[in-house]
Amino acid sequence: MILELKNIQKSFGEKCVLSGISFRAESGKAFGLLGRNGAGKTTSIRILMDVFPAEDGCVLVDGKPIDYRQIKIGYLPEERGLYPKKIILDQLVYFAQLKGMRRREAVKSVDYWLERLGMMEYRNKRLDTLSKGNQQKIQLITALAHDPDIVILDEPFSGLDPVNAILLKDVVKEQISRGKIVLFSSHQMSYIEEFCDSIAILNAGKVAIHGDLREIKRNYVRDRLVVRTVSPESLRAEFGEACTVLENGDLLIQLASPEEKKHTMKHIVEHYDVDEVRVYEPSLNDIFVEYAGDAPKED
Amino acid sequence: MRQFGTILSFELKSYFKNKVFVGITVFLVALIAIVMCFPRISAMFASDEADAAEVASEDKSIMLIKAQTEEQAMLTEELFSAVFTDYEIRGTGDDISAIQEQILSGEAECAFVMTGDTSYTYYVNNLSMYDMNAEIANEVLQKLYQMNAMMESGITPEKTASIMSIEITGSVENLGVDQMDNFFYTYIMIFALYMVILLYGQMVSTNVATEKSSRAMEVLVTSAKPTAMMFGKVLASCLAGLMQLVAVFGAALLFYQLNKSYWGGNIIVESIFNIPPALLVYMLVFFVLGFLIYAFLFGAIGSTATKLEDINTSTMPLMFLFIIAFMVVVFSMSSGNIDNAAMKVCSFVPFTSPMAMFTRIAMSTVPWYEILISIGILIGSTIGVGVISAKIYRVGVLLYGTTPKIGAILKAVWRH
Repeated sequence: MILELKNIQKSFGEKCVLSGISFRAESGKAFGLLGRNGAGKTTSIRILMDVFPAEDGCVLVDGKPIDYRQIKIGYLPEERGLYPKKIILDQLVYFAQLKGMRRREAVKSVDYWLERLGMMEYRNKRLDTLSKGNQQKIQLITALAHDPDIVILDEPFSGLDPVNAILLKDVVKEQISRGKIVLFSSHQMSYIEEFCDSIAILNAGKVAIHGDLREIKRNYVRDRLVVRTVSPESLRAEFGEACTVLENGDLLIQLASPEEKKHTMKHIVEHYDVDEVRVYEPSLNDIFVEYAGDAPKED
Repeated sequence: MRQFGTILSFELKSYFKNKVFVGITVFLVALIAIVMCFPRISAMFASDEADAAEVASEDKSIMLIKAQTEEQAMLTEELFSAVFTDYEIRGTGDDISAIQEQILSGEAECAFVMTGDTSYTYYVNNLSMYDMNAEIANEVLQKLYQMNAMMESGITPEKTASIMSIEITGSVENLGVDQMDNFFYTYIMIFALYMVILLYGQMVSTNVATEKSSRAMEVLVTSAKPTAMMFGKVLASCLAGLMQLVAVFGAALLFYQLNKSYWGGNIIVESIFNIPPALLVYMLVFFVLGFLIYAFLFGAIGSTATKLEDINTSTMPLMFLFIIAFMVVVFSMSSGNIDNAAMKVCSFVPFTSPMAMFTRIAMSTVPWYEILISIGILIGSTIGVGVISAKIYRVGVLLYGTTPKIGAILKAVWRH
């Protein structure tokens, strides 16, 4: 299954929130939707979920307009919250029923997920008696209980302790392996890098960059070298301001152009005592800062 | 449709699990049971009361009569004893200041000091709103004067007596409805509608605003259609309200039947329990539609509130509209002029017609086509208001921050 958002436009009043958003996600893969606060991620997700319509553009599944009666979507919103005063089982079954499940299968599925996430003992308790992390696990069940085809997780790891984070990672991996489209929205780049094959970075309502994450990294301007050496001083003396020290002590050398890469590498190996010289591959964080940092780059 | 059913049953269950809702219902049922059993309970103490009544007869308050002549004293004392049965009539020859003193000290309650055949001064310490003594005295003295005058002009006492005691026989053929008969149950229905709409309207508002402030809305709005949400919620509250009313009125009817003999054919109570079935149907129709149209608006308002505290301020204009409608109806009811121009207009305006048209049907004669038009307008408007409210709801629930202005919301609704 292929999910596509094509040229989505949306404005609230005079303010244009999305101007021509397009991206594509495939089943069995995780997709990272990134952007700073107010970049248009939540609006894109709401349009995808048919909370409100787009002014222009369309949402397609396998090339056809999405049929919400056929395609089930699970959503873990960034703004968490359910009914604090109601019994956990009651509200989870209610949400699963709203998504089209029959009561009996809803109860069965909710019980499976409560067991899976180690929450069975809270089944008949009120939500507000739980800790924040456990409430988040309950909220996750609302996104998964009805066995959705598309799972949208907005900041899924925030507020989870390391043990629960591992539990959630397993769940996400399982969803991916079961052929679901998993759509991630997060500011925690490490998780995106770990799960997502492709990403889209939104900036001020536009897609600043999108595509396969490895490809994006590979196509990144290769004009920086990482050098590991026991005597960094001599190198720093030669390269001056172009040479900075990374957190792990390695040196980062900025080249004037990517064409100098080969020649400079050869020069360093021949004249200095180095353990390693390689082309610097940007982290997702670098890419994010570059593309989401300021006004969108013109393509 | 299935979504609507799921929401309806979830919301309805929430009402039945709500301790406050259950508590109020049980309290009201218990209260009405006690009220309906009251004559039976008081009959249990009747024997004690009878004894007390005997004691009380010896303790009647004293009415002093000061006449000008002995003959006048005899006649007035005799006649006053016959009509003022609650008083012990006592003739007096004391002067006015002594009489005043007796009244002020509480020795006597009041006094009639005759100043002529047809004039007197009535002395009383505190003139109660319900003190009819002077009016009764006027009537008695007028009759006495007329009788004397007739006898003086040669008419025999027997003839005089028969003239004075002539009784008029007449019968009333009411071709419409008896307002007196219908007044009480109309009033009860209007008041029940008023209470239920205010109470449940606020509940719907608070319910929506709570979902918004707890952010449960984030999941809800992506799980269910806003029309299903709005109609499910509002119909659930309507059903809960109706069930509560049925419980209360059912208890009233049950306990009335159990204690019927003790009520001794009390006209007011009997009129309440003898509502014509057709009127009950009208009551149900106007009740449901009136409830829904207001509850939809309360729901829409709740969706625009960002904090629970804002609800009271936001719902104020709607409350005023409703209270004005209630006032127009209640004033028209007590004025007796049910079909006045204001009521006629109100009985077609959707927000006032549930109360106004029902009152007109119950207490006057309304052509069938007017009823039909009124119900038609109300049904159309209720559906319209429901759909618009659902749209406001969809826009409103996702707006956080300051409460948006009504114009901005309507613009956004229009755009969607």
